Amino acid sequence: MSRRPGAGYYTATAAKPGGGMPLIDKNDMCPVCKMMRYLNPDMEFLINPECYHSMCTGCVNRLFNDGPNQCPYAGCHKTLRRKGFKSAFFGDLAVEREVDLRRRVNSVFNQVEDDFETLRDYNNYLQMVEDLTFDLVNGTETKRREAEAQLLQWEMDHKPDIERNRKAGREAEEQTRRRLQAEQELARQRRIAAIQEQEEEKLALVRNREAVLDSMATGGQRVQLKKRGGVKAADITTAAAASAGSSLLPGSLDVGKLSIRGLKEKKKTAAPEGPYDPFGGYDFVPSRYKVHSGLGHPLLERFEHDRAHVTGGYSLEEFTARAMFEAFAGLGVFIEDEKEVGIGLSAGEVTGMAAGIAATGHVMDPR
Amino acid sequence: MEFNIEDLPVLFPYPRIYPEQYAYMVDLKKTLDAGGNCVLEMPSGTGKTVTLLALIVAYQQHYPSHRKLIYCSRTMSEIEKALVELKELMKFRAERLGYEEEFRGLGLTSRKNLCLHPSVKREKSGSVVDARCRSLTAGFVKEKKEKGENVDVCIYHDNLDNLEPHNLIPNGIWTLDGLLKYGEQHKQCPYFTARRMMQFCNVIIYSYHYLLDPKIAERVSKDLSKDCIVVFDEAHNIDNVCIESLSTDITEDSLRKATRGAQNLETKINEMRESDQQKLQDEYEKLVEGLRGADDGRQEDSFMANPTLPDDLLKEAVPGNIRRAEHFVGFLRRFIEYLKTRMKVRQVISETPPSFLAHLKEYTFIEKKPLRFCAERLTSLVRTLELTNIEDYQPLQEVATFATLVATYEKGFLLILEPYESDTAEVPNPVLHFTCLDAAIAIKPVFDRFSSVIITSGTISPLEMYPKMLDFTTVVQESYSMTLARKSFQPMIVTRGSDQAAISTGFQVRNEPSVVRNYGNLLTEFSRITPDGMVVFFPSYLYMESIISMWQGMGILDEVWKYKLILVETPDAQETSLALETYRTACANGRGAVLLCVARGKVSEGIDFDHQYGRTVLCIGVPFQYTESRILKARLEFLRETYRIRENDFLSFDAMRHAAQCLGRVLRGKDDYGLMILADRRFQKKRGQLPKWINQAMAEKDTNLSTDMAVSLARKFLTDIMQDVETTVVEGVSTWSIEDLRQHQAKMADETIKALTAAREKQLEDEAMAEGRRAEGAESDYEMDEDDEAELMALDG
Repeated sequence: MSRRPGAGYYTATAAKPGGGMPLIDKNDMCPVCKMMRYLNPDMEFLINPECYHSMCTGCVNRLFNDGPNQCPYAGCHKTLRRKGFKSAFFGDLAVEREVDLRRRVNSVFNQVEDDFETLRDYNNYLQMVEDLTFDLVNGTETKRREAEAQLLQWEMDHKPDIERNRKAGREAEEQTRRRLQAEQELARQRRIAAIQEQEEEKLALVRNREAVLDSMATGGQRVQLKKRGGVKAADITTAAAASAGSSLLPGSLDVGKLSIRGLKEKKKTAAPEGPYDPFGGYDFVPSRYKVHSGLGHPLLERFEHDRAHVTGGYSLEEFTARAMFEAFAGLGVFIEDEKEVGIGLSAGEVTGMAAGIAATGHVMDPR
Repeated sequence: MEFNIEDLPVLFPYPRIYPEQYAYMVDLKKTLDAGGNCVLEMPSGTGKTVTLLALIVAYQQHYPSHRKLIYCSRTMSEIEKALVELKELMKFRAERLGYEEEFRGLGLTSRKNLCLHPSVKREKSGSVVDARCRSLTAGFVKEKKEKGENVDVCIYHDNLDNLEPHNLIPNGIWTLDGLLKYGEQHKQCPYFTARRMMQFCNVIIYSYHYLLDPKIAERVSKDLSKDCIVVFDEAHNIDNVCIESLSTDITEDSLRKATRGAQNLETKINEMRESDQQKLQDEYEKLVEGLRGADDGRQEDSFMANPTLPDDLLKEAVPGNIRRAEHFVGFLRRFIEYLKTRMKVRQVISETPPSFLAHLKEYTFIEKKPLRFCAERLTSLVRTLELTNIEDYQPLQEVATFATLVATYEKGFLLILEPYESDTAEVPNPVLHFTCLDAAIAIKPVFDRFSSVIITSGTISPLEMYPKMLDFTTVVQESYSMTLARKSFQPMIVTRGSDQAAISTGFQVRNEPSVVRNYGNLLTEFSRITPDGMVVFFPSYLYMESIISMWQGMGILDEVWKYKLILVETPDAQETSLALETYRTACANGRGAVLLCVARGKVSEGIDFDHQYGRTVLCIGVPFQYTESRILKARLEFLRETYRIRENDFLSFDAMRHAAQCLGRVLRGKDDYGLMILADRRFQKKRGQLPKWINQAMAEKDTNLSTDMAVSLARKFLTDIMQDVETTVVEGVSTWSIEDLRQHQAKMADETIKALTAAREKQLEDEAMAEGRRAEGAESDYEMDEDDEAELMALDG
């Protein structure tokens, strides 16, 4: 290996542009047959891990179909086989080579943190491995040889450990893979569930509207329009069963099961109240006398049928009842007593009252 | 004026106070006393900043603990405004108290705004200024200078070393301008003065990023003590700031630059190995011990945790395989190459960090653990190599941060690879979005570290969304209404056009000519009746462009032209600022103008249209986000799975907070007035998500108007409001003098006593009842409800 493969094509052109090499992206031209991507859009490049020189599939087929052959790159005398060619994962072939080497190193140095007593030991181990890899990748010829030897030595020394760790590593990988898959599956299910929930809600809304319209159209039963928000809340809380349709029928919504404060029906209803009584239960049937229906007065009878005097809403009985009431109104009151108790009425007021009573009495006199 | 809240004497620099300001102070004090967090919404233009400062400064000065205030705002102008308010406040306090208090308040902003160096300050781009400043001020530059080498230094920066480190600048409040002037006089660097004095001042005012962005917070804010009071003002967008600070986009170009950065690092390392082997060895020794090791000698809790650098990382040693500089560079190279390969894929991929890591390990043998240390290891290397042209390594830094984040968080992040810019694009332009889905991650260190975090804004409804999204608990969550002596703004929802057909910018109907014409009519009508300025918001640039061209075809713009000048916002910042300037001139000289802009653009945030600059704001359509974006979809799913926030709820919340933000632009004070028109059928259902103060001003009948009804309502409102009103009407209702305040306090005290006695009575009653129940034995749980009823009665009474 006279030419260091590490100095990849890409880095070389980048470092000294125009240094003999054409300034065409290496992805666009095969360095062996000079075929351009312009002429063959499906052009692909392959490399062989022996020397990491890239060439197009055409060249590979042309050169290596008849068995092993030399690498067409000038100065590279490696013998390559058709079987060894693969397409590169990385754009930078130096990295491709490094990773290939790492694969080998990693298969030997596969100890994990638990194998060491302290973190520092583990870190030192990691550095040792890294140093070794670095030598393999970038070191000079002698260093590389040394590293190679060290690698083999380690492999010999730690065979059982390596085997065990390899197994453990595979298992762990498998486990994480499975875990990831399970998580993805769960997430997918949750997503579906959420979409379904949303759709159901939408459907329920539509059905609700239809149900209300239907019941309005058929008439008959009393339509109970619920607030939309209320229905939604109920839907969410009783989410489980209650198919949207049934929950919408008036009365079937089971409010009793929810204990929302203030919404619950009261158990004890107040006693039914009668019609409003402006007098607070005062009885107007006179207790001291009885008004007979036939009471009359010849003076009044004249007017009873006189159209000039009769007016709607009044009757003659009204007059007699009032006259009787006024006649008896003062009977239970003794002026002397009132005076002695002294309810604070002034003399003038008392006389005024007396005069009033006297006056009514006077009016009633003719009867 | 001067008054007490409980035992705390507050000096308020104005003779009058608004009732909501008082309520705000009371709640703030409650929060601070309890040492918790709160979310407060106070209408825009009611003096939020001065209220906040007045109370917190009073709190600082009255209690012996002297908790430091960290006030975070969004833009430069807001920071400057807050500093001016603070200065006024302190002046007032000094007058009242008769002496100057020992008090220092500083604002911090970028180097670009604070630089005094004659050549550096002429640079246009902020990052160039940063880089050049670093190359003049870094520690090793000074060392070299001392060794007698000929290196450029910044005289302004070096002068700072001659001063006492805790007294770089005298007490007082320093606005950014003041700081610059002082720096010029004393030949000292304002930026470093502010940064170094942060530990020694009582109030710090700076931008969110200094606290939330892990890259900056690490450097600037790590020494702040635990009992600081942190305030996020204008915080309605805080979740987006958090997410942006942790998200990265990686493009092919940035990867190329990162590769170049890695190559440069390699050459630098080789150079150094030849010249100064010892330094690399020193670094190596240090890394063997651990990232921070014992050398710092600081207490553990003096660090603010960093999302890119979790605590356990600090205690651990760097993994052995990236300890050596050359190993680490190789490691970075491998990682970058891997990313490049991934970018070649031509279909959309979205994957979680664990699956990304598994794939990464399979192909490059990069383990999770060294990846976690990536960002910190790179910083350490850059420091060791004494690199000056930091901006060359920016892309590399980004990749390293990405590496650390992807290895640290299994949940809350997602990788989305989009090979094409749009669905129709033919030429691939792959972008790897590493997007943070969880706003709580970035802000978590803030909540963990500081006991009192106050989140406040003019429009932050619905309040309960924020604690949910940012994952914290609150002591107080309050939205204040605006007390007005008369209705000075009229919000309304227009649902139908002049032909009674429903109007909406919903996807199916947005381009129908009838809808477009109806919107056009609405615009013409309102441009006719609105005095001076009018602002129109569209949901997106795309829609704005299409609707404007359609209006042009219909001759609507010609009609509007008769009444108003028409100006349009564009994505270009300079063009927009020119348009704004013209707009202001036109409004001020009476020609009147209408500004067409976008609800998520620059204009909707941070530009005030006070008084004649905005009499009407017209919001055309609900400003929903672009829902087809994969990042948004991922975030919605995350919110649903983690915080049980449903997609539609979040979208509608987000749209409404932007709408509210737009509406809030016109009303910038109690003497201001304006019309707020929401023109979309869908607003009717979303009304409840508007901030309380807007919602309260909108009567039920104003929520379902057609264009003609809206116009007549607006006419009536405008004729009413334009009458002069005597100040006596305002007195005692929307502004309080000290007497009004005392009365209110007395009333509140009475009510508290009443409530206490009521509570006591209730308690006694309960006890009696409980006794009775125990005697009766088991009872149905229906009985409980009667207790509750009693409680309700007690509350009513």
